[in-house]
Formats: sequence, structure tokens, C-alpha cells
Amino acid sequence: MIPALKISHLRKVYRRGNVAVDDLSLTVNEGDFFGFLGPNGAGKSTTIHCMTGIAEPTGGTIEIFGVDAVKNYREARRLVGLCPQEFNVDPFATPRQIVDWMGGYFGMSAAQRKARIDHLMERFELGPHEKKPFRELSGGLKRRVVLARALVNDPKLLILDEPTAGVDVELRRILWRYLQEINADGRTILLTSHYLEEVERLCRDIAIVNKGRIVRQGTKDEIAGGTPGGLEEAYLAVTGSAAEHVAGQ
Amino acid sequence: MQDTRKPLGINWIGLGTIVRREVSRMMRVPIQAFIAPWISALLFIFIFGYVVGGRMPAIGGRPYIQFVLPGVLMLNIVNASFLQSSSAIYFSRFLRFIEETLVSPMSYVEMIAGSLAVVVVRSTVTAIGIMVIGLAFGATAISSVPAFLFWVVAVSAIFGLLGIVIGLWSKSFEQLNVLTVFFITPLSMVGGVFNTITMLPGWLRWLAYGNPFFYFINGIRHSMIGYSEVPQGLGYGLTVVALVVMFLWVLRLYSKGYGLRE
Repeated sequence: MIPALKISHLRKVYRRGNVAVDDLSLTVNEGDFFGFLGPNGAGKSTTIHCMTGIAEPTGGTIEIFGVDAVKNYREARRLVGLCPQEFNVDPFATPRQIVDWMGGYFGMSAAQRKARIDHLMERFELGPHEKKPFRELSGGLKRRVVLARALVNDPKLLILDEPTAGVDVELRRILWRYLQEINADGRTILLTSHYLEEVERLCRDIAIVNKGRIVRQGTKDEIAGGTPGGLEEAYLAVTGSAAEHVAGQ
Repeated sequence: MQDTRKPLGINWIGLGTIVRREVSRMMRVPIQAFIAPWISALLFIFIFGYVVGGRMPAIGGRPYIQFVLPGVLMLNIVNASFLQSSSAIYFSRFLRFIEETLVSPMSYVEMIAGSLAVVVVRSTVTAIGIMVIGLAFGATAISSVPAFLFWVVAVSAIFGLLGIVIGLWSKSFEQLNVLTVFFITPLSMVGGVFNTITMLPGWLRWLAYGNPFFYFINGIRHSMIGYSEVPQGLGYGLTVVALVVMFLWVLRLYSKGYGLRE
């Protein structure tokens, strides 16, 4: 079976010489709910950016369902939806416009976009807010919009970079339910989060990255099961960043 | 879910989406995008064409106001094109929503073509408004429609591409204005908007011939009133070369991810 994501020896060095990712290799199987953990600055977002075209890898290869994400980037992008950590949207646009434009970039026809957007607006309870400028929305609503945008093309691989940061408990639970549903439908999900209970609840496999390298990888049980303190203790043991982790929460 | 129909291998829906997005952005600032250049053109035409021009001798058998109008038109086409693409690229980088297109399956050529299509829309609407103002003064004339369209579209595209380069390069609002202040405005003003080459002192004429704006203004003027100071082939040739060079430059910047990717 072709893995949903296969990263081999990924290296990313920024212009000023900062090595963000160094020889990182990772495989995510199709249908998996994969937790990608690490302290701030560990290289999680950089890895995601290299996978999605926001950053240019310095070395190594990335394959998405067997498609090279650099050499055959157009085909690879079709398979991916990204919910980024930061709100990278036009703040004057409305939620409907933001999601509609994204569908357009993916080549979806007007009828396809309308049906999909209607579904997503309803699913994320954005209907009453769909014509308000993005900048006037609350943090939780903004998060829903970028998640809806990531889902507009019905991606086979959904990448979620801190999707519940700054989100209230109620919305968090709505998102969890939805993510579990689409994962059960066969969508592969890669999740980064500082909320370890979220990762424990949702993910089956986990990789922990620190200083640009994978320091631990396995099933949730393999990583958390052997440690009395569960995933949190295991995480702190391999990252050695207790203070940073607490700050992240 | 995604529509895989792509005539000629082009994602037309994606390309059209860039146009829809930018037109929507443009329509949020109609005074800045259209009203300001129309008022500016009206004042130029009234003061220089009508008030001052009324005392000027005819040039090439045409009233001075008809000589001035094409220059004013080209001045505004250049500004509208450059401002549209430079601000669109810069703001999308500044606010990071350029990442929406980077993570999508759009090709670099489609992204550039989408940006240029918006540039042509904006400069064409600006030009139509100025032509209507010119009509009110009896100054609007077109002697060759194909040539007129060539100059509007080609010059829009050249300055749209230049705007993309500056939008990618700029790291601040200050840098965004550098080219306009030090290059576009001075060169366009001395490129023959208000005067013929023969009106310049002899020692300054060679500078005019080396000024690309002179060929753009001269070209559109010829397409409107049939008056030209250089062989037309030279202007067309230089413009096509400039267009190709600029396009290849921008395509290379996109391919390398300059100003786009981390």
C-alpha cells in the first residue's frame, strides 16, 4: 500500500543558516490519524510548509500518496488540505469568499463549490457569519473558517497545524467529532498540537520531533504505554523541554 | 470533488478565481482605483490640454489637446498597472494569504496570468474613463483600434510584471513606492506626455530616445491621432522584447520562490 505521506531525509536550512529540519524521515499510512508533536521551534511547521509548498526543502524527498511534492507539485497539492497555525487570509474577505476562492484555485466548478461550501458552512455553524468580514469574527469563528477552507477540496490528506489553539471547549469538541468522522471515512489526518490530551484522544500514531529531528515514533500505546505519566511524561522525557511545554499550554 | 477538466492544460477556474478575488479587492477601494486617476486625468486634460493648449500651435496638424490626451492616458495606464500588481502581491505576502495559491495546484504561469488579467482589467477601465473625459473635450480619437489595443494591453502587462517584481522584492510599504517615485513618475513625465522631442534642447533629445516611456507614449499617440516621432516598428519591437524579458524574469522568480516561499 502506498503511504499517504512519506518524508525521506528532509532538510531545511533557512537563508541565515538556521537549520530548522535535519534529516527528518517519516511515514504516515493511509487512513491514519497521526500526531506530530514537538516543542515550539522544533521544526513541525517547517516540515508542514515543505510538504505544502510554503517552504522550499533544502534536501530530501516528500511523497504524498506516491507523488513527489516538489517535482510534481501540482498533482501532490490536489491531494492535500492545510489548516495552518496562523490566519493567512484576506481579513476583509467574508468566510464564504475565502472558502469559495480556495475551491476555485483547486479548479472546482461553481456548482461543486456551492454545494461543498453550503455543507461546510452548515457543519461548522458559520451560516450566520458567512457574509461578515473575516477580521470581525471571533478567534473561534476564524479557526472554523480556515478549517472549512482546508476541507473545501475534500482532501485525501488533511494537515492540521495547531487547529484548536485559542478555541473554546465547545468548538474543540465539535472539531474533534468532525475530524473523527472524516478520518473514519478514510481521510488521513496529520495533526500538530500542544494539547497532549487532544493527541491522546484522536491520534493512533505519533512522532515527536525535537531540534529538527524525529526523536520518537510509534503507536500511541508504544509511546505513552510504557511511561507511568502517559504521553506527557514520554513527551517531556524525549524533548527535555518541560518549561517550554508548560508555556505552550 | 475537484474538477479535472482543464482545456489546454490550464486551470481556467483557478485563473478566473484570481481575477474574481482581485476585482473584489479593487472594488473595496474604487476611489483609489478609478476615481483618483480619472480626476487627475481630467485636471491634466483641462489645464494642459484645454487652458494652456488653447494657446499652443497645432502639432502634426492636430490640436494640442489631442496631442496631450494619449500621453495622459498612457501615464495613467502605467500607474494603474504597476499599482495594481505591486500592491496585490505585496499585501498578499504581508498578510500571508498568498499561501492560499501556493498550497493549491495552480502553476506559476497561471498565477502570473491571473495577476496580469486583473492588471489589464484595471488599466482598461481606467483608460475607458479617460477616453470618455477626452470625448467631453472633443479630444478623443482612435486611428487604429488594433494598435490602440496592443499598446493598452502590452504596456499594462509590462508594468503589471514590473509591479509583481517590486511586490515580491519589497519588505516595507516604503520600498513599494521607490520605483514609482524615482523611476516611473519622472521618466513618464519626460517621455513626451506634453511635448514632442523637437521641443527639447538638442543635448536632451538623446535621453528621450533612451527613455522607454517615450516609445509607449509615442506608440499609443500614433494609434490615436496618427502622429509619430520614430518608426513604429522600433516601438513595437522594443515593447515586445520588454514584455518577453519581463515575463521570463517573473516566471523565474516564481519558480525559485523568490519572495514567495520560505
